[in-house]
Amino acid sequence: MEPAVDDPGVPLETRLELFRLVLLQRLAEERVMALYRQGRISGSVYTGRGQEAVGAGAGLALGPEDVVAPLNRELACHLARGVTVAHVFRNFLGKATGPTRGRDGNMHFGVPEKNVFPLVSMLGDLVPLTVGAALAFKRRGEPRVALTFFGDGAMSTGDVHEGLGLAGVLDVPVVFVIQSNHYAYSTPTERQMRVTDIAARVEGGWGIPCARVDGTDAVAVYAAALLAVERARLGRGPQALVATTLRGHGHAAHDGATYVPEELRARYGDPVERLAARLRADGLGEDEVERRRHAAADEVAAALAEAEAAPAPDPATLEHGVWASPL
Amino acid sequence: MSAEATLLDAVHAALRDALLSDRRVFLLGEDIGHFGGAFGVTKGLWEEFGDERVYDTPICEEGFVGAAIGAAWMGERPVVELQFADFVSCPFDAIVTVAAKTHWRSGIALPLVIRAPFGGGVRGGPFHSQCPEGWFAGEPGLKVVCPGSVADAYGLLRSAIEDDDPVLFFEHKALYRRLRGELPEESHRVPLGRAAVARAGSEATIVTYAAGVDLALRATDGLDVEVLDLRTVWPFDEAAILESVGRTSKVLVLQEAQRSSGVAGLLFSFLSREAFELLDAAPVLVAPPDTPVPFAPELEDAFLPDAARVRAAVEELLEY
Repeated sequence: MEPAVDDPGVPLETRLELFRLVLLQRLAEERVMALYRQGRISGSVYTGRGQEAVGAGAGLALGPEDVVAPLNRELACHLARGVTVAHVFRNFLGKATGPTRGRDGNMHFGVPEKNVFPLVSMLGDLVPLTVGAALAFKRRGEPRVALTFFGDGAMSTGDVHEGLGLAGVLDVPVVFVIQSNHYAYSTPTERQMRVTDIAARVEGGWGIPCARVDGTDAVAVYAAALLAVERARLGRGPQALVATTLRGHGHAAHDGATYVPEELRARYGDPVERLAARLRADGLGEDEVERRRHAAADEVAAALAEAEAAPAPDPATLEHGVWASPL
Repeated sequence: MSAEATLLDAVHAALRDALLSDRRVFLLGEDIGHFGGAFGVTKGLWEEFGDERVYDTPICEEGFVGAAIGAAWMGERPVVELQFADFVSCPFDAIVTVAAKTHWRSGIALPLVIRAPFGGGVRGGPFHSQCPEGWFAGEPGLKVVCPGSVADAYGLLRSAIEDDDPVLFFEHKALYRRLRGELPEESHRVPLGRAAVARAGSEATIVTYAAGVDLALRATDGLDVEVLDLRTVWPFDEAAILESVGRTSKVLVLQEAQRSSGVAGLLFSFLSREAFELLDAAPVLVAPPDTPVPFAPELEDAFLPDAARVRAAVEELLEY
């Protein structure tokens, strides 16, 4: 396994934190898939397997006052913002004390106190929304950045086009992290767009600087995201990066992704193992790497136990909170 | 100001006073800056308040309504202008998917107002004349406001901007320069969700809103008929309807949206559930047929409710 890059701008402490984040996403999602197959999670389940480095790297690149609108492949981004694994599990389990209080499931949640906006299923919607959050910062002169994710599939939506266009003319501190993972559900990128060089489109079509990064390399993603975030913070307008990955699971738990050829899978490294290899190359002993794996597994197990013990929502609360100020 | 203020003046004044009183308020829309808006509602505001308060946008309703939602998330109070209410089909997703459901899902309040001129009578044809309020009435999390008087246009818009929920604010374009009245004081607010008796009466109630109010008043001149102006059409004032219908025992719903759109269906559902035993006659509906809004004057005049048709329907109801 080729190690993640040895970027001198990313200290060991940050590499270790990235490792913790990608491990937690990996292990939490493995638990979620198991629970789903056991019938203990209802509805549907989407994972970001193989893409953990993108949410982890981008999430960790944000400052404490920045805001983010992640999608469902970016569990580690929530964790980087300080959301607990137990809180994530409570949403999957539809618990009363979860982030949506049982009103929505899986990764469909936000955590307002952590400046995380809840995703909606309609792809592209969060792009203009994030531009608007950045506009608020610009109007108020606050040194804050808004960041969102979207994929190669959402590149086909009008919302992404309108959002990128608006970001440019308003010249706001926003960062777009584009997850290019080869497939939108079952549709390959070349059936999604004629020009598949997404970074070239973003730069040439919308005038937004767009870095290219290996999305299985958490160190590289973090470094590229940090550069984009700090450029946006300095008033240099919207920034973007394309992180290339391969979706490790199907679109959702029911999708076996048999349409993904094996030779394509062979081209992609595992972001968790690439980071482990980097840490070993950095001098971390195998026992230290293993200790961290076990610590993450213990944290996930404890979080699940905590979440499962949480109360179910009371049907009497169904109509609460439809309006912020009911008439 | 004098009694010569128009409804357009009232909307303009409400926007200006809101911009003056709250730094969080800003305007976003197409051609609302130096051009002053398609109907001239925002004329002079860009000159007075500048680039950071009045934003001209590209032609991207999904984009700038979405951006308004994001700014509202950050605690701003954006007021979006759509050039015509018909174009609300473009940002429908942002409104119904994101704006309407976020507070219920996540407790994030989204204080934004989407203003849009609606309604016919100006030969605008199928894409510049629609009454789309019914697309949103019934949607949990949204509020839908349709002023029917100059003073209410001011007071309702100030209340909408100060409200913590997403509000769709439909201004009838045919009333912009036709309705006149006294411009209220800066402190004037009209509470959302409250209907008003535009004219008291005892023999029947006309439940209506927006241009329907003026039309109902003109059509029933000399009759002892109450005109109830809903003002907020969603969620509507159930208590006021029951109170009025309880006194008059007869009810007619007048709307400019097609008979199967608008809020008539919700009102009839409510009346049949809650007012059945108060009524001495079947409720009556005066509304256009279920067609798109036509262009040619002969067709649009046939489409729109007019005073003669309202008068005839009221007289028939009174004779029941």
